[in-house]
Amino acid sequence: MHAKVITVTSGKGGVGKTTVTANLAAALAMLGKRVAAIDSDIGLRNLDVVMGLENRIVYDLVDVVEGRCRLSQAMIRDKRFAELYLIPAAQTRDKMAVSPSDMVLVCDQLRPDMDYVVIDSPAGIERGFRNAIAPADQVIVVTNPEVSAVRDADRIIGLIEAEEKGPGQLIINRIKPSMVARGDMLSIADVLDILAIDLLGVVPEDEAILISSNRGLPVAMSATNSASASQAFRNIAQRLEGNDVPILDLAPQSGILSRLRNWVRGE
Amino acid sequence: MTGSKSTEIRVKGIREGILLGLNNHSAPFAELLQRLQEELAEKRTFLKGSRIVLDVGDHLLQRTQLAQIQTLLSENEMELWTVLAEPAATREAARALGLATRLAGSNTDLDGNDLAIGSAAQAGLEAEASSGANALLVLETIRSGRSVQHEGHVTILGDVNPGAQIIARGHVVVWGRLRGMVHAGASGDASAVICALQLTPTQLRIANHIAIPPEEQQPALFPEMASVRDGQIVAEPWRVRE
Repeated sequence: MHAKVITVTSGKGGVGKTTVTANLAAALAMLGKRVAAIDSDIGLRNLDVVMGLENRIVYDLVDVVEGRCRLSQAMIRDKRFAELYLIPAAQTRDKMAVSPSDMVLVCDQLRPDMDYVVIDSPAGIERGFRNAIAPADQVIVVTNPEVSAVRDADRIIGLIEAEEKGPGQLIINRIKPSMVARGDMLSIADVLDILAIDLLGVVPEDEAILISSNRGLPVAMSATNSASASQAFRNIAQRLEGNDVPILDLAPQSGILSRLRNWVRGE
Repeated sequence: MTGSKSTEIRVKGIREGILLGLNNHSAPFAELLQRLQEELAEKRTFLKGSRIVLDVGDHLLQRTQLAQIQTLLSENEMELWTVLAEPAATREAARALGLATRLAGSNTDLDGNDLAIGSAAQAGLEAEASSGANALLVLETIRSGRSVQHEGHVTILGDVNPGAQIIARGHVVVWGRLRGMVHAGASGDASAVICALQLTPTQLRIANHIAIPPEEQQPALFPEMASVRDGQIVAEPWRVRE
């Protein structure tokens, strides 16, 4: 059994990389998969907070790389699931503490025992980004429906292609169907028109995200949560598993919008 | 070190940092990489923390190979920022990695000799011996942040996205949507043209003329060609010139 290593990246900061990482990891774990989430944002770690595991950190990624502990000692088990682990970033160091080949080594160690390794990339295009994509089998690019985020996503996709990691798959996060309908926000079709890569999912703006991030309870975790973002993340996990979940993507422009509106109301 | 003498690596301090020169033109990449590794191991304490200019001579290197070198240098705490290469393909690969391919503002060559700066260098192009009107064909979309620079004509089979730039001494043809910046006739040739299936650029330049398209432009439903007419850049439906 060999785990698939998925890196979540965006270029621009604040578009929801950490939220997507935490929720995808949780949603995959809910499907009974063995999942390790790695925070590669050394010096600015967040994933532990969003997953609600901050107070259980003893060792971190830099400790593993520098040989102060074994990999298994840095893996924090999330007790809410059968097999979900977090490998936190160090908060006191910087990106230079880890090299791309260190990341490949860590992931290779995880591969035999996991189904998925999900890596949260830092913002930017420098060393931290290179660390995060070095071990990736698949890259997920997160963007928001706004011009600056799409511009940065385009840059990132170019860099991913240069590293020969494929063009990646796209998640459009924080879309507000009502604003799109009024023409005040880029539509899904507008974003895809520029980026021209596969759409993996669309996550609507949802207050539940902020509330759950503050509580350290990714929205995807609650199977009964009717929040639309929660459902969106669970659908994306299904798609990663190869299941053909009927979604918002690939439909023509007007179709997407009307279906999205129905979907937000209907769930 | 017992590395083979046939693959010498030159190390030299220049104004911009440290110059590493790969000399042997016939050596396979694996051997080059190994020699470089040995050289770095030997001189690590001396070179640590420096900015590296890599002169690969006439080696034809792929993006992945340059990326391997970049990783090797970064593991040794050195930062690769410029690749000097003779083959245009190697320079293009270096640019795809976000690396510079010439020494900006440098008026000395690699051996420290003074160079006469030609008008091409002043126009932001690589000063090279006239390489003729060769054309560069790029078979992919040019995404934000990428810069394609060429001394001849440039043809792109794909889009040119916002935030990307194409700079050519000759004509530029984009078989796709042109939404970024294109500079044709960059060394002063005002007869150069820019053609695109959909011409909706952020900015166009031909020779020393600059045009900013009107806001809220509706994309034309046909291919267009931009050229200089009476001192202005004008776009019109793309058809064979009389």
